[in-house]
Amino acid sequence: MNIPGKTEKVANDKLREMQCEFNPLSRCDGSVMYCQGATVVISAVLGPIEVKTQNLSIDGSYLECNYRPKAGLPQVKERIREAAVRDVLELALLSEAYPRSKMSLQIQELEDRGSIDACALNSACLAMLIGGLPLKCSFAAVHCIINDQGEYVLDPDQRETVHQRASFTFAFDSLEGNLLLVQTKGSFKIAEFNDVESLCRSASAEIFRFYRNNIANYHCRRPEGQKTSEDNMET
Amino acid sequence: MFMNTGLFEPGKTKTERKFVQQAVKQSQRLDGRKSGESRNVEITFGGEYGSVIVALGETKVMAQVTCDMGTPTTSRPNEGKLQLFVTLAGVSYLDSVQKTHDKRSLTLNSLLERTFRTSRCVDLESLCVASELHVWCIRVDVNVLNHDGNLYDASTIAVLAALMHFRRPDVTFTDGELRTYTEKERDMIPLLFLHYPVSVTYCIYTSNFQPFVDPTLLEENCADSTIILSFNSYQELCTLNAGGTVPTDVRTIMQCARSAANRCKAMVTFVRKALDLDEQQRLQGSTRKYTGMLGLMAKSSQKLSFRTLMKGEQKQEQQQQHKSEDMDIEAEARPSAKLEECVAENVENDQPAQEEDLRMDASGWLPQEAEPEPIIDLTKQGPGKPKRKRNKGNKKKQPQSS
Repeated sequence: MNIPGKTEKVANDKLREMQCEFNPLSRCDGSVMYCQGATVVISAVLGPIEVKTQNLSIDGSYLECNYRPKAGLPQVKERIREAAVRDVLELALLSEAYPRSKMSLQIQELEDRGSIDACALNSACLAMLIGGLPLKCSFAAVHCIINDQGEYVLDPDQRETVHQRASFTFAFDSLEGNLLLVQTKGSFKIAEFNDVESLCRSASAEIFRFYRNNIANYHCRRPEGQKTSEDNMET
Repeated sequence: MFMNTGLFEPGKTKTERKFVQQAVKQSQRLDGRKSGESRNVEITFGGEYGSVIVALGETKVMAQVTCDMGTPTTSRPNEGKLQLFVTLAGVSYLDSVQKTHDKRSLTLNSLLERTFRTSRCVDLESLCVASELHVWCIRVDVNVLNHDGNLYDASTIAVLAALMHFRRPDVTFTDGELRTYTEKERDMIPLLFLHYPVSVTYCIYTSNFQPFVDPTLLEENCADSTIILSFNSYQELCTLNAGGTVPTDVRTIMQCARSAANRCKAMVTFVRKALDLDEQQRLQGSTRKYTGMLGLMAKSSQKLSFRTLMKGEQKQEQQQQHKSEDMDIEAEARPSAKLEECVAENVENDQPAQEEDLRMDASGWLPQEAEPEPIIDLTKQGPGKPKRKRNKGNKKKQPQSS
């Protein structure tokens, strides 16, 4: 790996640091640059817009979802990722609001250093929220692996995924915490699956809090639970 | 039913065109720049070698260089390959139902091909491992992230920076066996360059004889003609792409060429500096966190931008400007029958000394006749010989018309 030294190690049961920047692009309705650790993706949404007649549906909007890798054309791996994002979005999107129209979502990978699936999903959700497209609920995705010592590593860095026994990606909705997506790879026991699921579920709460704080910040409102000094002065 | 407002580009309507033309007439630009002033350039290097994002104002382009082993073509058995791929689809939303898309991607593709492949800037022979058997194939993917005008310059800077940043693994070929070394075994090898080309774009309008450098999307769409010049750091011309409807005279193009040559030289110096700083950061990696693409976030403190890195050099340039200011006035007051009004206005508006100055500065390096040949006939590109004759004719006519 070309990154020299080691980025500071995050505890196994913690997510890496999340950051996001809203509307870095000017040509779309909403865009977000989202990073988790050193993994960076950029997502852009456009909609509702005109739809081709072949994709037209009279009782809901058509969802277009594209994922572009950093180099080369999208291969099978990218198509699978794209399909996962589309599946989750189709569940979360309130498509009845705009029939005979198209919602377009584009995801561009900028740097893949682990749990890119979860990052792509989270950035897609943020882009939909900031672009003002109708959603039934927001969603958060978490990636977790079981390494060869049998430890659960939440949101692993790419270096840690080399020694993995099993890998899981879960997506949860924000209303009731229902599972929207489960992707598993490798061998594991049912008990382990349940453990990992509850671990990811608790981590998803942190992601939802991150969404809320950042969007509130963007729209010039104080994130919950924080009081600025100005506020104290006023009161 | 739905207006494709997101896809609608600025500068396509009559009112917008009129507005821009009027502003141009007064040598004004929407973002307050002078006609010879470029936007700031920012470079961000990714964690991997050969991964670069260049931001030119709001325009953002990502370039990624990858390599693999392949077989050479039969016509050039001892040369590696350099392939360039441009993608306008994706987050930039340029591929959707647009008439201009095809033209845009074709122009960009051909510009990059000519600037980097035809000018032979990368030493391809050094990429040969075994003649006729194994060569390195270098692939450059250019992803447009956001388009706010001047995609050309942004992509050439991005491709050049990515190629210069890129390292390939070492490889040996003994007894018919190919062995690739990992980074731990042997150091990665940077590409060898013969020269470093970068392009500069100018827009020309009928209402003002002055070329406008580094146009935004609005300006670009309203422009009557666009001239793209690629120069390398030795100030040699690599590519010239001129199109549009304005009858452009030799002087304008020479003026463009001279300031472009200086700009390109500065740009290559800037890319070099940025690469040095990046390398330093990588070496410090053990003590401090290397950010990679995280550097794109607004919060990040250290950004490799043209203005900050080239501050010292620009001061020197300004000093030079002062020296040759007397000569500028002469050059500025160049008589031009049709455009007398504009000239008068320009003098009042306190013209950017920089550009005029460059005209005088580097007057020595280009032979006066060699340059204008391929340029004047902007509308159609005929076969070589008759064009030359026509050009000569034009040249003679020009003093009469002006």
